[in-house]
Amino acid sequence: MTQLSVAAPVRLSIRGNVVRAVYPAVLVGAVILIAWELAVHLFNIQPYLLPAPSAIVAEFGKSFSTIASAAQITTIAVIGGALLGAATGVIAAFIVALFEKFANTVLVLVAILSCAPVVALAPIFNAWFGATSLMSKIAVAAIMVFFPVMVATTKGLLSVHPLHRELMESLSASRFQLMVWVRIPGAVPSLFDGMRVGATLSVIGIIVAEYFGGTANALGVLIANSAALSQFPLTWAAVAAASLLGLVVYGAVMLIERLVAPWRFTPASR
Amino acid sequence: MTINTPVTDARPAISLRNVTKTFDAGGGLVHALDDIDLDIAPGAFVSLLGPSGCGKSTLLRVIGDLVKPTEGVVEVNGRSAEAARKAREYGMAFQAPGLMDWRTIRRNIELPLQVQGVPRNERRARAEEMLELVRLTGFENHRPRQLSGGMQQRVAIARALAFQPKLLLMDEPLGALDEMNREYLQRELLRIWRSTGTTIVFVTHSVSEAVFLSTEVVVMSPRPGRIADRIPIDLPYPRTDETRMTEEFYHAESRVRTALHSVLEPVQVG
Repeated sequence: MTQLSVAAPVRLSIRGNVVRAVYPAVLVGAVILIAWELAVHLFNIQPYLLPAPSAIVAEFGKSFSTIASAAQITTIAVIGGALLGAATGVIAAFIVALFEKFANTVLVLVAILSCAPVVALAPIFNAWFGATSLMSKIAVAAIMVFFPVMVATTKGLLSVHPLHRELMESLSASRFQLMVWVRIPGAVPSLFDGMRVGATLSVIGIIVAEYFGGTANALGVLIANSAALSQFPLTWAAVAAASLLGLVVYGAVMLIERLVAPWRFTPASR
Repeated sequence: MTINTPVTDARPAISLRNVTKTFDAGGGLVHALDDIDLDIAPGAFVSLLGPSGCGKSTLLRVIGDLVKPTEGVVEVNGRSAEAARKAREYGMAFQAPGLMDWRTIRRNIELPLQVQGVPRNERRARAEEMLELVRLTGFENHRPRQLSGGMQQRVAIARALAFQPKLLLMDEPLGALDEMNREYLQRELLRIWRSTGTTIVFVTHSVSEAVFLSTEVVVMSPRPGRIADRIPIDLPYPRTDETRMTEEFYHAESRVRTALHSVLEPVQVG
């Protein structure tokens, strides 16, 4: 068996898997869009209730510059919230993992805290940082991202494969060596599990925080204002843009995971 | 040659006195090991053989200081098992490969050397040597998941041998391999043992494997784990595939089998 004959089918099967995974989703999406379009025309649904997908696309084209500039501000906030939340979450996880005895107590506390509706803090943060400041939005998103990242990373750092633990123990490895060579690489997949949840939460956090006021051109503000003015096609177009943003951020996290933890995507030999 | 001939009046490499181990298994105390006395001479190849539940894996872990005995004393080369472990005298291989997914095959083999702070070039050279030994040259940059179970186990053995430990503790390391790979690695293991003078303690439940490899087979009985019989194997080294077909081999096997059956019989009668 040469290296080439092992590597070649592996790469092919990855591409095959991606196509196989995406294809049904695209198909279902297309069917839903067509049904939506037909329903609007067949039942003569008014645009303020539910505009047809074609109308939303048309509005998207018409108001593209408005939506794009709003999306730009929102994207910066989403990325800022995700990064800040992830960074603090990872730092907190390391601190908790160092004190293994108290880890479970802390995790229970964090679980209780994470039940609080963080977006409810948005008006408070507006008062603290100023309604038009980016920071008031980022803070909401960061707190929402913090919890899943912190919990997942802590669990990842604490769960060491028993054989890896025995091996490192038999080698009389130091705590530091165990941390760097076993705990941290072993926690990377968990970190990304948390980040994938966090990516979605960051978009939700920013958009909802923007409903409570913000710089005039932000997606959340655009959604709230256009709805208030009954410009529903514009509202829907902005919602579509926000959904797209959510997808892109989610995809970016998956892409980074592939780069940072390629071993997770190596298919098994059998 | 002389290096592997047990010298009776020399200090034993491993010495166990009145070793007892009880586990609290929820429902009550389990006597995994009961009053074990065992001396293993330097350079010996000793197999621990017995039905499942006879405590052979526990005994191996007690020698390796991964499990503390409830009572009794374990000495390795004249000092405590803990001191020996801290002096990094143990190489271990387990039933499952326990490779680290995030490391390439080469870096998995390098791990024990890395723990000991061996410089990079030397690590790399040793890993190449070990890969050649287990016939996996060309796979150094593969990930564990790309290898079959048998190949992974060979990597795990290479990892255990990488730093030429004074003591090799092996817990059924060949159990998952197919017959051809198993017999090949048995021969390789003998070759390595004879060239290095390493003391090997080897857990197995294969009679023929124990006979082929060992200078002595220790037969254990279950519940509580006790040493039932110690059978020296006088077959001359080097042992080859032809050895397996000799009358002497058959006789040695029969002796071990008889001892093993006497361990099992009382359970059926009583």
